[in-house]
Amino acid sequence: MIFLIEYDRSSGQLVRIESFPEPERQDAESARLELELELNRLGRDHEVVVLEAASEAALRRTHRRYFENLSELMAS
Amino acid sequence: MGKDFSKTQIDKLGDRLKKGNITEADLRLLDEYRRSFTGAYETVVGIIRNEVTLEPTGRPAKSTTSISEKLLRETIRLTQVQDIAGCRLIVADLIEQERVVQRLNQLFENVTIVDRREQPSHGYRAVHVVVKAAGRLVEIQVRTAMQQLWAEQSEKLSDIVDPAIKYGGGDVKIQQFLKEASGIVADLESIELEIAGDEELRSDKKRKSEVSSLRKRMVKVLQSAYPTNKRST
Repeated sequence: MIFLIEYDRSSGQLVRIESFPEPERQDAESARLELELELNRLGRDHEVVVLEAASEAALRRTHRRYFENLSELMAS
Repeated sequence: MGKDFSKTQIDKLGDRLKKGNITEADLRLLDEYRRSFTGAYETVVGIIRNEVTLEPTGRPAKSTTSISEKLLRETIRLTQVQDIAGCRLIVADLIEQERVVQRLNQLFENVTIVDRREQPSHGYRAVHVVVKAAGRLVEIQVRTAMQQLWAEQSEKLSDIVDPAIKYGGGDVKIQQFLKEASGIVADLESIELEIAGDEELRSDKKRKSEVSSLRKRMVKVLQSAYPTNKRST
């Protein structure tokens, strides 16, 4: 699965996550560009990244900072 | 470099990213440049899946934010950034980490291994294996579960408190806590390595108690790094 993530670093909050099947990698990359262009127009400083993982659960294990706060990170 | 852009063009783009004020045309060119790594990325991830039989979490292209920060932080040009495309492998312990790194070294040519376990980068411990595929560099991060826990904490603190934290700057107390926690992770992993394969040592009550107290201490130290004026809890 491919995941498009918008993350607000300053608040540490995930803004949006959108998933794409693996064959639609190009669509995910196009969606990333469109989102970056939109945020740039709005002057919003959010991180936009495309990640690939076997599942959302796998992604949440390897990139926990996008999904959890500090307390939750230490809870494991 | 690529069919539609030159090295000079990309490095000039890097200069503009450093200055901020990114235009729509810049974002489109950066997107095109990052997409030129897709073939290399897919090759590397495919080899890892098939030959190492591990499922990496991939990042086909580094985010604009991360690229801009890296260019500001370091003296390199955009065409010299080695981790435009990359992936991450989380393994159980040092033994598995060593096995995976050696396997990657066998599987790829032009391999550069950056071992940050003995000489951590501001507390960050991991092994980065940079490989070349389809004429492009791809970075494979190999972290143990405990190295990953530490890294996630450091990254989150960098996000919500100060981006400098990840690179040794920012609040001195937070830095001290992170470095202490990194040292404890190293001690824990060292003990795990020592007792691996030795049933007697593994069941030794003193060793078990040592590991248990180190784990508790690490959690306590990392929790001490929590900022009191944090924007997010």
